[in-house]
Parts: sequence; structure tokens; C-alpha cells
Amino acid sequence: MRRVVPFVVLIAVVAVLNGWLDQRFYVRVLTLSVVWALAGVAWNLMAKAGQISLGHSAFVGIGAYGFTLLLRGGGTSPWTGMVIGMGVAAAVALAIGLPTFRLRGFYFTLATISFPLIMELLVSHYGDPELTVPFHPESEWKFMEFSNSHTYVWVGLGMLVVALAISELIDVTSFGFALRAIRDNEVLARAVGIRTVAWKSAAFMISAALSAAMAVLWVKAVLRVTVAEEVFGITVVIVMLSVAFVGGVGQTWGPVVGAAFLIPLAMFLDDSIGESVPGAQELVYAAALVLVALLIPRGILPAIEKGFRRLATWPRPSLEQAGPSLLVRLAAPPPRPSPLLRTPRRPRRSRLPQPSDTPVLEVDGVAKSFGANRVLSDVVFSVDAGRRVGIIGPNGAGKTTLFNIMTAHLRADAGRILFKGVQVDRMRAPRRYELGMSRTFQVPQGFHLMSPLDNVVVAAIGASLPDPVAASMAMLERVGLAGKAIGELNALTTAEIKSLELARAMVSDPDLLLLDEPLAGLNETERARFFETVDELVSPDTAIVVIEHSVRSLIQYVESVVALDEGRVIAQGPPEDVVSDPRVIEAYLGSRWMEHARDQ
Amino acid sequence: MVEFLQFLVPGILIGGVYALLASGLGLIFGVMRVVNFAQADFMMLAMYLSWALFAGGFGLDPFLAVPAVFVVFLLLGMAVHWMFIRFVIGRRENHDAQVILTIGLGLIFQNLILIRYSSEPRVVAPSYANAGDFIGDIFISRVRLYAFLLSVLVAALLFLFLNRSRTGRAIRAASENWEAATYMGIDIDRTNRIAFGVGVALTAVGGSALVTFQSITPFVGFRFVVVMFAAVVLGGLGSVSGAFVGGVLIGIIQSVSQVWTSAAVKNVWVFALFLLILYVRPNGLFGKVQRAI
Repeated sequence: MRRVVPFVVLIAVVAVLNGWLDQRFYVRVLTLSVVWALAGVAWNLMAKAGQISLGHSAFVGIGAYGFTLLLRGGGTSPWTGMVIGMGVAAAVALAIGLPTFRLRGFYFTLATISFPLIMELLVSHYGDPELTVPFHPESEWKFMEFSNSHTYVWVGLGMLVVALAISELIDVTSFGFALRAIRDNEVLARAVGIRTVAWKSAAFMISAALSAAMAVLWVKAVLRVTVAEEVFGITVVIVMLSVAFVGGVGQTWGPVVGAAFLIPLAMFLDDSIGESVPGAQELVYAAALVLVALLIPRGILPAIEKGFRRLATWPRPSLEQAGPSLLVRLAAPPPRPSPLLRTPRRPRRSRLPQPSDTPVLEVDGVAKSFGANRVLSDVVFSVDAGRRVGIIGPNGAGKTTLFNIMTAHLRADAGRILFKGVQVDRMRAPRRYELGMSRTFQVPQGFHLMSPLDNVVVAAIGASLPDPVAASMAMLERVGLAGKAIGELNALTTAEIKSLELARAMVSDPDLLLLDEPLAGLNETERARFFETVDELVSPDTAIVVIEHSVRSLIQYVESVVALDEGRVIAQGPPEDVVSDPRVIEAYLGSRWMEHARDQ
Repeated sequence: MVEFLQFLVPGILIGGVYALLASGLGLIFGVMRVVNFAQADFMMLAMYLSWALFAGGFGLDPFLAVPAVFVVFLLLGMAVHWMFIRFVIGRRENHDAQVILTIGLGLIFQNLILIRYSSEPRVVAPSYANAGDFIGDIFISRVRLYAFLLSVLVAALLFLFLNRSRTGRAIRAASENWEAATYMGIDIDRTNRIAFGVGVALTAVGGSALVTFQSITPFVGFRFVVVMFAAVVLGGLGSVSGAFVGGVLIGIIQSVSQVWTSAAVKNVWVFALFLLILYVRPNGLFGKVQRAI
């Protein structure tokens, strides 16, 4: 219901305006507002994953040139041309995206800049810088040749509604969860089985296809001529950016709000003072971008929502006051992710079988250097099913680097990792998670824009669980966080964050659990409690590897210990033997202490 | 061979100017991790300033105007940092804001100039604009040679500034490790402001080196945006010396490509190289490999 209301409002508003306005200029403003809202919705799909594209005019250009050339060549209907253009744009998006999606940071943004520039140069030089769209009055609908300009608004509205529906659908399914997780914390997303490259590619392809579709409408309804400089031009991207950022970046309805606000403003300004002030339209977009960046970087919609929520909860209700007011309930985020998540999209990926005579984990001769700095050399050890192994060593011994190599966050220079007898070195992080490897982080990681529940849901989606929400809620109950499931992540205490890390790592019921300094920051009681909780959660066959500095707590829990120093295994075996090994004492306390101990 | 050299030599000369343009962008990214999409528009503004000083009654030679341009844009850059950029520095969440803020500022510059000076192309033609010398069969344009020499000189001064002066060392420290620099008592806001000012001024000087052979319009920046980014990425994002080498390489590729394809599509080669570098060596030709977590 919540999700249907905006559609009704949008259709009603556009319908009323379309029926009421009759002056040519106003219809043009309405048409362009719809066109750019559509473009913004398309662009925003990529922003859901936190990816800022400056190259969407490549897809607009492909859509515009594609249908114009087909129409001129064989009299192909613009509708058919639109579908073909969408397909080509999606294919090009895949080719553009794949090489950059493995990189983080600014690289995607930088890479996208040059594609429209290349295309514009090539089209202008080797093709036609300008193509007129042939006039086909014989069939209004077949050739999108409407004599009544209001019809273009209806067509645009239809396309906009479809695009918004696609965007909403993405939001409420695991697709949207994956994209939000990527935007929030890509490293963590990969560690909990989210195939970031595949999801980003899918979003980019849909986004590109919608941009190509928008181009056909734009040319047919407004431009009437396909000009390379215009359809491949940077202005297309500027307007997309502006409407999306002003409304709300990554928000489905953001571009609609942004376009409704910016496009009429820019056009009326251009109409009134455009003669004397040639850059008036562009100045509107530029000023909007600067103001949004400085004042409301998330855009108008989230700002309104936040203000509304603050207003609704003011004065702050006391703790005893149960039953939130209607306003609070309206303003609060939906308490649970959509029921659509419950449908299993695919059967759960089969785990590797566990051969009875093979260890769960074998680390075989692993070595790693950062530049000239050798961090690990020839590390060998193995862990059997159901066993608990501790890894100790002074800071800088290479413990976390070893974990990062096991879970594919780093690649080893030499050596092999075998998981249940299968070599996994070439598999990426999401695949290893799917096979049954799971970890926590030394510096606790989280999706900070999500609730604690959703943090676990992402991991459940990564593991392809049939009912991610129920599984996550059950896991939160078991670690004692059920009461905080839908609060804010930042409101959790250190101990609660550790519990959340554990819940996230355990929701997939892993065969190998890697805990990186789980006790750091916990007090005595919490420490004692932590390993009890772990034991309550794990199944008997799960192997556990723990990195921990608190050796006393560790040796009470594990069955064997591997001691690392300067990247080498200096001792391994039963805990008592390892901690009394002179080399281990020396590594921890230095040789002077050894001499002192000998003198005693 | 002679044909090849006829393209190679001007390529190196223009590459020197690209190097200067790109070093400003590289310096800013290196110190504050901000990709300044308005950088090319600062260049455009500097070109208009050089034009105004030359054609607006002063008759000041664009090469002699360089110190004035440097000072003006140092101050302008610091002011822009103080008024806008410092609010979007740092946290990962500000990444989007940095992109749209700098794009927005660039657009504002373009359109204010458009309103004031129209889109009519402006040229700066000193008396020696068409002069040149033959070395063997190769013609060397006087203005391009001056532009190249100017770039080399500024590069040397930049090197001295970054390595010898206290502020320069603070900038290098901040670019190496932002957090550690604050612990060493470096005022990061001031360092950022100066680095932004110097970065803008370097690109501005590059712009005034261009005016003698590049006509000026409000949108001239577009032609240089990707050239600058390509140079910076080629040399490794954030490395000033890398940006220099990258700039020279871009100049050579742009020029030498004319042996095979028309001058109209010379930038296609630049863009293609830019993409290739992003795909195969995103840390640049000499870039350091960064740790994952």
C-alpha cells in the first residue's frame, strides 16, 4: 500500500496537468519533466550501488542513433528501434562495466567519462553528426508520430511508471539488498557472499537500457533531430545527475521529485531571461548541484523524511509510552523487509561434501609480501572438522593477513588453500562464502545505513537461504539482539556489535568459522560469555579458527594452537605445549625476558 | 621517419603543457583524495585572464603574465577551498558530494563566462605567434617551444617547493599519510587549502601557456578534462611526478596518432589509452599496490 500511493499521486498529477495545460510551451515543460524524470530514474539505478556514472549519455546516444538509423534505413518502427537500442545499450554497459567493477573508489566514475566522448568523436567524424528523423504520418502509433502533443506525455508517463516499478521491484528484492550492501561496504558485502560484480553489471545494464528507451522518446517528442553533440553530450549527464541528486541519490522516487522541481525552474528561467542570459538553464543545474553537495548531500526526499520523523517523534516519547502514534508509524521505516524476499530465487547452492578423511582447511606453504615487506612465508597447518584452533602471535606476525588470504580478500604469492580437499585459491570471496567459509573482522565491519536485522539479512541472502528474514531474526534472537533488530547500527555497544558480527557470520551455518580477535574490547564477563555463545550456535562439525591476543581465554577454548612470528609458524600443537615453547615466549616477550627467566 | 618526427616533436612540446595541467590535478588528488572535476574550468578562467591582460589594453605578453596568473589563481583556489571544498573533505560518504560539487562549480564558471563574454572564440596572438625555427626538416613553433620551456621551469620550481620548503614537505606528508600527518602537528586544513591553491595555480599557468595557440571559449575545458585525467591516471592517481610523465606521454600519443588517423579523432586515442590504463594498470604505470583491508 505504502508503495502504491506515490504511483497514484504521480499519475493523477500528470493526468491533471496534461488535461489542463494547453499552451505549447507548458506542454513542452511537462513533456521534458517526464523525460528527465525517466532519465534520472534510469541513472539512479546505478547509484543504488553507490556508483556515480558520468557516461550515461553514451546510452542515450546509442538509443537515439539506433532508432533513427533503423527508421531511416528500413522504415523500422521506433518501438522496435527502441527495443533494439535497449539491447545494444545493455551490451555496451556490460562491456564498459566489467573491467571497472572489480575496482573501488573513483575508478568507475573516471572510466565512464570517456565513453560518450569517444562515441561522439567517432560518430561525428565517420558517421553523421546530425540525422533528421523521417516523417511518417501514415500511422500515429506505429511511428510514434502523434499529432496531439499530449499523447507524448501519456507515453512518457507510461514509460516512467514502468521504470519506477522496476526500480521499486529492485528495492524490495534481494537485488536491492545487494546493491545497498555494495554501496555501504563493498568489502563486507563480498565477504558475506554478495557477488558484487554480477549485481553491479545487472544494475548497469538495466540502467543503460532505460536510458536508451528515454532517448527515443526525447528525440521523437522534443528534439525531432538526432544531433551527436546533443545526445552524446555532457549536458545529458548533468541533467541526470541534477535531478537524481536533488531528489535523492539512489532513491527510487528521488529523480521524480528532482525533475518536478528543476526542469520547470530551468525552462521558465530560460524562457524569461534566456535571451540576455544564455547559460541560465545550466546555471540552475549547477547551482542545484553545489547547494545539494553542501547542504543535503542525500537529497530532498531523505531530508524531508528525516525532518518528518523528527517532527513525529517530538516531544520524544518516554520509554513507558508503548504504541507509537500514527505519525511515528507513518514516518518509521517499514519494520520488516518485503515479503518478496521470502521467495527463494534459486535453489540453495550445494555445499561441497565433506570427505571424512580430509581436513576442512589445509593451508599449504602460503607466502605473502607487500612490496619488500615479507608478511608470511611457508605457512603450513590444517584444521579438521569440528576442531577449534587458535592462532597467536605478536602484532604484525601476519595473522590477519593469513585470514584475508583464506577468505580471498588478498591473494597469496605462493602456496595453496584447500577447503574440504578442494583447492580454492582461484575462487573469489563470495564463492568461498557460499561453499561454507565465514568470518568476522578484527575491526568490526557493518552496513551502517542498515538496521542490525538487515545486516544479517544480507549475509542470509548471500548464502541463498530460502527465507533470509526469518533465518536472520532467529539468529539475532539466539545472540540476544532480537530487541535491537530494527534500530540503528550505531546505537549498539561494542559487545552487541561483536554479537552482531557473530550472528552475521553464523547465519549461513558455515563449515569453517574464522574469528579475528573476537574478544578485543570486551570486559571479563562478556569475554567469558562470548565463547559460550559461539558453542551454542555452531554445529558439531563446524571447524573454528580464532585469532586472539588474550592467550589465557584462548587456550581454555581451543584444542590446538598455531603460533606465528614474523610470518612463520614457530610452534603448533596442544595449547599448553605451545605457550610454554621458548620460541613463543621469546617472540612475545623478547630475548631479554628469556634471559631473565633463565636466571630465575 | 621525418614525418614521424614532425609529429613527435610537437607532441613532446604540447605534452609538457599537459604535464603541467595534470600536475595540479594530481597534487590535489594526492593530498585530499578529491577528484576535482572543475580543474579544467580553472584552466579556462586562467586563459580568459591571460586574454584580458593581453587584449584588454595592457598588452601584457601571456608568458610574462604567468607570475600574476599564478598568484591570482593561488588565491582563487584557496578561496574556493575555504568556501566550498573543505566541507566535503574526508569521509567516504562525502565521495558523491565531492563529485557533484566540483562538477557544479565548473559549470558555474563556464556559464558565468558565457554570460559575460559570449561563446565567441578569443585568440591571443603576440607578434611572434606564427614564428618558428627549422631544425633540419622539423619545424618548431616558437610559442609551443616557449610553452614547453615554461612548463619545465614551473615543474622544477614545484619540485623545489615540495622538497625543500616546510609547507611543501607538509603537503607531501599529508599526501603520504593524512592521519599520521595530523599526529605530527601538521594543520591539515591549512595544508589542504594551500595544496588546493597551488594545484589550481599550476593548472592555471598551464592554461596561460596554451593561449598563444589555443582559441578560448567558455567550454574549452571539455577538450582538456579527459586529457588531464588520462595523464593523472597514467602516472598513478595522486603522484605529481607521475602526472608529469603521463602528460608528456599523452601529448606524444595525441600528436603521433595523426600519422595514421585524422587529427579530428586524435583524442579517441587518448581516451582509449585512458581506458586501457584504467583496466590493466589502475594504479598507473608506476603505481604502488595498495593493501586490501
